[in-house]
Amino acid sequence: MALTEDPYTLISKWLHAREFLVVGKGIARADALDKALGTAKFVEDYFQEGMLFVKQVLSTEPHAKILRIRDEEALKIPKVVKVFTAKDIPGENQVGYALPDQPLIAEGKVRYHGELVALVAAEDIDAALRAAELVKVDYDPLPYVLNPLEALERKDVLVHEEVGSNIAFRTKVRKGNVEEGFSEADVIVENEYRTHHQDHVYLETEGALAIPGLDGRLTVVTAAQYPHLAQSIIARVLGVPASNIKVVVPFMGGGFGGKDDEGPLTAAKAALVAHLTGRPAFILYTREESLRMHPKREATIIKYKSGATKDGKLTAIDVKIIHDTGAYANRGPFILWRATVHASGPYEVPHARVEGYCVYTNKVYQGSFRGFGNPSVQFAAEMQMNELARKLGMDPVEFRLKNMLRPGSRTITNQLLEESVGIAEAVEKLAEKVNWAKRRAECESFKGRYRRGIGIGVAWHGISTSRGVPDWSNAYVKIDKDGSVSMFTGIVEMGQGSPNSSHRQIVAEILGAPLEKVKVVFGTSDAPDAGATHASRGTSIGAIGVLVAAARVRERLNKLAAELLGCKPEDVEIKGGVVRAKGTDKELSWDELIKQAYARGVDLSATGYFFLPKGKFNDELGQGQAYPAFSYVAMIAEVEVDTWTGKVRVLRIWPALAAGRIINPQQVEGQIEGAAVQGMGYVLMEQFVFDDKGRILNADMTDYIVPTTLDIPEIEKPVYVEDLFKYGPFGAKGVGEMALIPAPAAIAGAVSHALGKPITKLPLTPEAVYFELRKGGST
Amino acid sequence: MKVSFILNGEPVTVDVKPNEILLDTLRLKLNIKSVKRGCERAECGACTVLVDGRPTYSCNLLTVQVEGREVTTLEGLRDDPIVKELTSKFVERGAVQCGFCTPGFIITAYALLKSGKELTPENVKKMLEGNICRCTGYKKIIEAVTAAAEALKK
Ligand code: FES
Ligand code: FES
Repeated sequence: MALTEDPYTLISKWLHAREFLVVGKGIARADALDKALGTAKFVEDYFQEGMLFVKQVLSTEPHAKILRIRDEEALKIPKVVKVFTAKDIPGENQVGYALPDQPLIAEGKVRYHGELVALVAAEDIDAALRAAELVKVDYDPLPYVLNPLEALERKDVLVHEEVGSNIAFRTKVRKGNVEEGFSEADVIVENEYRTHHQDHVYLETEGALAIPGLDGRLTVVTAAQYPHLAQSIIARVLGVPASNIKVVVPFMGGGFGGKDDEGPLTAAKAALVAHLTGRPAFILYTREESLRMHPKREATIIKYKSGATKDGKLTAIDVKIIHDTGAYANRGPFILWRATVHASGPYEVPHARVEGYCVYTNKVYQGSFRGFGNPSVQFAAEMQMNELARKLGMDPVEFRLKNMLRPGSRTITNQLLEESVGIAEAVEKLAEKVNWAKRRAECESFKGRYRRGIGIGVAWHGISTSRGVPDWSNAYVKIDKDGSVSMFTGIVEMGQGSPNSSHRQIVAEILGAPLEKVKVVFGTSDAPDAGATHASRGTSIGAIGVLVAAARVRERLNKLAAELLGCKPEDVEIKGGVVRAKGTDKELSWDELIKQAYARGVDLSATGYFFLPKGKFNDELGQGQAYPAFSYVAMIAEVEVDTWTGKVRVLRIWPALAAGRIINPQQVEGQIEGAAVQGMGYVLMEQFVFDDKGRILNADMTDYIVPTTLDIPEIEKPVYVEDLFKYGPFGAKGVGEMALIPAPAAIAGAVSHALGKPITKLPLTPEAVYFELRKGGST
Repeated sequence: MKVSFILNGEPVTVDVKPNEILLDTLRLKLNIKSVKRGCERAECGACTVLVDGRPTYSCNLLTVQVEGREVTTLEGLRDDPIVKELTSKFVERGAVQCGFCTPGFIITAYALLKSGKELTPENVKKMLEGNICRCTGYKKIIEAVTAAAEALKK
């Protein structure tokens, strides 16, 4: 009998499994103890004195021609080896991900205060620091533009002359006829929303160590979220084939999207110096450099008009989204696409028009950050829903439920959602758990200095890349003679845990091998390319390849065991190291089975390539299949507002998730709690201050404030609705980003409820709330 | 210049620059890697060590300042029963994500548990306020520390 190798058959077979050994259980992750003891290795742990230390020289102008870079004084410092500029790059000085607009090292001109101008390599850290200060750059300042609305208008100040305007990219959705939709509306709400930059503040700053010749190639140890992308960027910059470059990503001290953008560039900087000097070279960003240089969460202006009938049905939305992309497009076009197709929130709207603009300014550029363009647009969409409900005299939850996406709904891109849409059930359960109506009334009884409010945010987030952009998964699984199992993946370990929890569980589940026999090798470009660890895809997409590879090996083990036990392959059970013919007492051990496989010529290694099927998408109209599936999330937040000081405290958060199968509830909870607090920080305290040259004034953790233990709310156990996705591993969809996405809407909604005023602008710092309260008369 | 101090119970003497911070001496010269570099500005707590038993940011101290003093890091506490309890609770409760902050939290929590103070969720939060974690949202860290304290009482 031929063995099943077909990925669709294998995915579906395991999707329909009913009993589980380890999937669905809160099993401790494999890396936790080493990390707790401080023995797990991060990039800097591989650095040794004697290697070259690389220091960056950053632009001190927002927009200027580079006339000359003078390094004579710097080179006089003992132990300084060389100063590298754009002209030293042997390959292409081009690292833009979405558009070819970005150099690794500024060439000809600088476009923001903080842009990389030169690299200094020295034998010693202090020498590198001193030399970097002595590199003198002669600038011819150019007029600059910091405000995206001004940038849209100006033709005389161009961040990129070759583009002819400051619009880097445009997106569109056109569904139905919005004029007709608004004419059917009984109430219309129109507002302009503003959201701000956010920094990731991963606790480990960016770093890379490049070692020429290690493992026969230039090996770069770095913190990048996609080893194969870092590999190809390095190869491009050096002008060598990718096969000459190996990238290894050890444990990473947080990424949140930031090291998806900056990681490969960091790696390329170290690689350049190592390649040109033939010596190991190490770069480590200071916190100040990290905050000044790497891409931020997009700052947005969103103009939003929506209409509904008096019985509470949405009729139309008209949305204009402006993203301030800063000096470079980076992943801005992808971020804008995601915001554009999610602009409605998880609701059915018959008529929709969305226009997106990605606008260049002379500021630090925007990039990937947990939620990827979605938290800001879901904030706007949900504030609109609150206002519509208020005007209609309806309860905000009830109004949402009347419009919520369900199986059979069509999205604003006219995508038919056939299955895996569990959000309405999740919201119903959540509202019941919270006792929404009663709690809301209780909040309203607080009248004195301290007011209370409650708010809800509901959001959706497409799984995989937007539109028809190809996406795939892969992994390599092998069993050694001693019965130990190794799984190799390009997915990295940045804290999210997919390799060390869900991947390992999936391998153990499918093979039936004892969990402690399963070893995961992650984050290496020597593993098959599994795509990036971003977009909540570490498990949802990354583990499909793991499942397929393990399932292929399992089919072969079943066949062999059936022969040895004299039963049918489908009657072979393997659990915790025991192989048995179902319903009999015929058994053998795992180790014996593996020994037999080696003796009888059974291949115990397999890859698990899977190319995600995608529908058509028309970029001109923004119509078609935007994503193969969506994850859904809801969050209710209760806040207390001190009307004397404007300080907001989030008292309690209740999350709900419809993200398919929950493979490891403990890890999923961890993602939800972390994302909720990161989202709370974004709404209440995190903010950059720019001066009139676009320089960040608070590039340190003293003045860029992130939440501490004293700021956190109670976070309740999540409500789960397991709305399985047919291609997900065991039906899993994405989790990592989810709880951040509704946080701005839920918290701002609660503040708005407490104050009895709409909120249109973030962040809600004490001063912002204080002045909001006193706007238009005293309280 | 030469500085002598006790590191994890053993006397050490190192040659340092006058402006060298303890974090660099530990990481680069003494192979102490549990001590992490997060901000170098006394803000994040990733570099926390014990100096004469008190949690201290090693980025905020010149090495010359620890002359004659006792410096303890996780490397010296791996067999300590309090640390064993803490690490096992951190693992069990899912309090570790990227793990970059974790050694700093364990050291701070160790000092708290060692002090014998009565533990409430409130003073655990207060005690850990100087350690930043950007991944976990702190909930599971606070639970792990409280659970370790409970277990040690028995
Ligand atoms: S590195 Fe010392 S407190 Fe952050
Ligand atoms: S686990 Fe990543 S910073 Fe705490």
